Amino acid sequence: MRTRRLETIFSSRNTFIGWIILLILLALYPQVTELSGIRLLQLTQIFIFITLASNWNLIGGMTGYVDFGHAVFFGVGAFVMGILVTQVQNYIVFAPGLSFWQALPIAGLAAMLFALLIGLPTLRLKGPYFSIAMLGTFVAMREIVRVLKDFTGGGRGLDLPPVLNRERDYYFMLVWMGLVLIAIWWIHRSEFGQSLMAIREDEVGAEMRGINTTKHKIIAFMLAAFSTGIIGGFWAFQNTYIDPDVVFIEQRTVEMVMASMLGGLGTVWGPPLGALILYVLQDVVWSRVPEGHLVVLGVLLIIIVLFVPEGILGTFKNPSSTSLGRLLRGYREEQPRPETVATE
Amino acid sequence: MKRVFKFLPFVLVLMFLLAACAVPAPAPAAPAGGEEAAAPAEGAPAEEMPAKVIRIGAAVSDTGKYAREGGDTRHGYLLWLDWVNEEYGGIKVGDERYKVELIMYDDEGDPDTTAKLVEKLITEDKVDFLLGPYSSGLTKSASAIAEKYDMIMVEGNGASESLFERGFKNLFGVLTPAGNYTQSALEAVSKQGAKSVVIAYEDTAFPTSVAEGAQRWAQEYGMEILAVETYPKDVADVSSIMTKFKDLNPDVFVGGGHFNDALLFVRAAKELDFSPKAMIITVGPSNPKFVQEVGADANYIIGPTQWEASMSYEDPYFGTAKDYYDRYLAKWGEPPTYQAAESTATALVLQLAIEQAGSLETAAVREALKNMDITTFYGPIKFDETGKNVGKPMGSIQIQDGEIVVVAPESAAVADLIYPMPPWSER
Repeated sequence: MRTRRLETIFSSRNTFIGWIILLILLALYPQVTELSGIRLLQLTQIFIFITLASNWNLIGGMTGYVDFGHAVFFGVGAFVMGILVTQVQNYIVFAPGLSFWQALPIAGLAAMLFALLIGLPTLRLKGPYFSIAMLGTFVAMREIVRVLKDFTGGGRGLDLPPVLNRERDYYFMLVWMGLVLIAIWWIHRSEFGQSLMAIREDEVGAEMRGINTTKHKIIAFMLAAFSTGIIGGFWAFQNTYIDPDVVFIEQRTVEMVMASMLGGLGTVWGPPLGALILYVLQDVVWSRVPEGHLVVLGVLLIIIVLFVPEGILGTFKNPSSTSLGRLLRGYREEQPRPETVATE
Repeated sequence: MKRVFKFLPFVLVLMFLLAACAVPAPAPAAPAGGEEAAAPAEGAPAEEMPAKVIRIGAAVSDTGKYAREGGDTRHGYLLWLDWVNEEYGGIKVGDERYKVELIMYDDEGDPDTTAKLVEKLITEDKVDFLLGPYSSGLTKSASAIAEKYDMIMVEGNGASESLFERGFKNLFGVLTPAGNYTQSALEAVSKQGAKSVVIAYEDTAFPTSVAEGAQRWAQEYGMEILAVETYPKDVADVSSIMTKFKDLNPDVFVGGGHFNDALLFVRAAKELDFSPKAMIITVGPSNPKFVQEVGADANYIIGPTQWEASMSYEDPYFGTAKDYYDRYLAKWGEPPTYQAAESTATALVLQLAIEQAGSLETAAVREALKNMDITTFYGPIKFDETGKNVGKPMGSIQIQDGEIVVVAPESAAVADLIYPMPPWSER
């Protein structure tokens, strides 16, 4: 009985309506009460985290291509933004540096184009080979940015105009997060999304059924890269400076993967939930144990992979799929699996 | 029994989840960052405690990639805090004494966290003034926020010149900016007759600024620049660069990025018998570990230093540089690095500006900082219109008989520069 109720609560439509209500409340929030800069900034950072996790989920969760270098698109977006805003006027006569709003779509498109170029060869690889190729791409881009000194400022990086506006940032990220979540919700229900999941489950089978797997994979990859590139460009502005070492950090990818896995790979609302939980954990629990918070992160990752591989939402949807779910539902006796049988 | 063990991970996960739920709802409203406020002088007796308090905030790394230097920075700030509250009796504003409350958080070396903590310090903790974080990058993030809220930020650990090229009116840096690192050394060797320079530097933010400054100063002192080479971070071998330099036969070699590079340069120079008349290595020689690692080959090597305990600066607050050294050693049980000294100086400068202004108003303190022209145990302090400290020359040390001695500038020197250095073959 209990599961059925949970399933109803977490049904895609109810959750969608819930999220829409939450988005509207968040939009009204700064209008109703006076929010200080720190609250706006924290919420903005949460929105960024949620959106990044959802982007990653599109390629890593739904399509099943575990991308360990997704932060490369963040970096490309940030540096394209930086170059367009501060450097262009040095190379093209009469071209003024672009404004934030002019440069932002270009940053996203550049990341998308980069995804196309990188995806064509790497998406042919499967499993760990793809993951490693993307990790390599990520590390290589960091070095390339360092070498292209004339455009990127090399190791010194670029300074963007220091114009901070927390409220503008808040609304921008809220809108972008809303758009991305709605898009992902829609993709999940659409034929396109179902094809992606078919690729994840059995790529050869999907091919046999007439799905153009290459096209589907590349489109999913490019969409995720576009959104991540936009956020990279936005972040560059928010942070007011970029250099290869703050933009291309492995931790950003790891956080995207963790949030998706914690919430539930391939689900629509899992990665946002995972991102929210991780952010709060980072903020509150880990700040209490500053020396060991990376250890906590690692242990948490191991626990997720070993015992809750389907994530929180996956466990709610299908309790028998994870050890935690089986434990909570007392499935062990009812649905014996070979190894449990041996121990009983 | 086995059941119990199987339970354990779930319990752990549940604990994490519960911890997350225990946060005051709504989740985003949870307090940020390390709640590690350094309380105002713990032992201060209640009856003496003046009612008035100045709140000063700083986000400084305690963990992460800058844990070590950030720790020195924290020690420097805390040393000043103890002194100003316990010994000095609080900051004098007009006729009143204000106790200082210093709120420090751990930024983990991450710009997002820095931004969050500085926002928190300003909008939630409502601090009156800010002190800088460690590293140029984090100072860039933090100072942009301080500028937005029109808050004064005095910093002593961001040496990059680009910090001061953004038109900020509230940022003041007490340390000598990166471009001037080699200035006093190049001046000293040019006075001894050096005519040509070669430069090698690591291709990252700080060494690039140092090397660009070196080129500028070399030209200023009429030296010819024969070659400029760059090498990547974490380089393992510099002999190709040194071979090239040897053929050019320069008077002066300028190079460096990190401590390890300094070792590589000395070893390669010796192996290849490359003997310029002076070797200026920008990071490494002022660290006592350098002599331990290189031994006798370290002799005659010149290096810049922000501050040394043997310098001849003094002020009425902390006394001489040596007095500061002793005080720091007594409190923390280790000798102060220059990061610690410049952090104490940073806080001292803010204090003196508040006293000079006689007010906590941003505009008045800003004026006082702009007009400041003093000498502290750390060196002279005088800001230009961008907020850089142009009063303090970078010190230069030379290793003589295994000892680190200050040889330039003249105002701080305790020994004469040995020039030229004897060739490797004659040692």
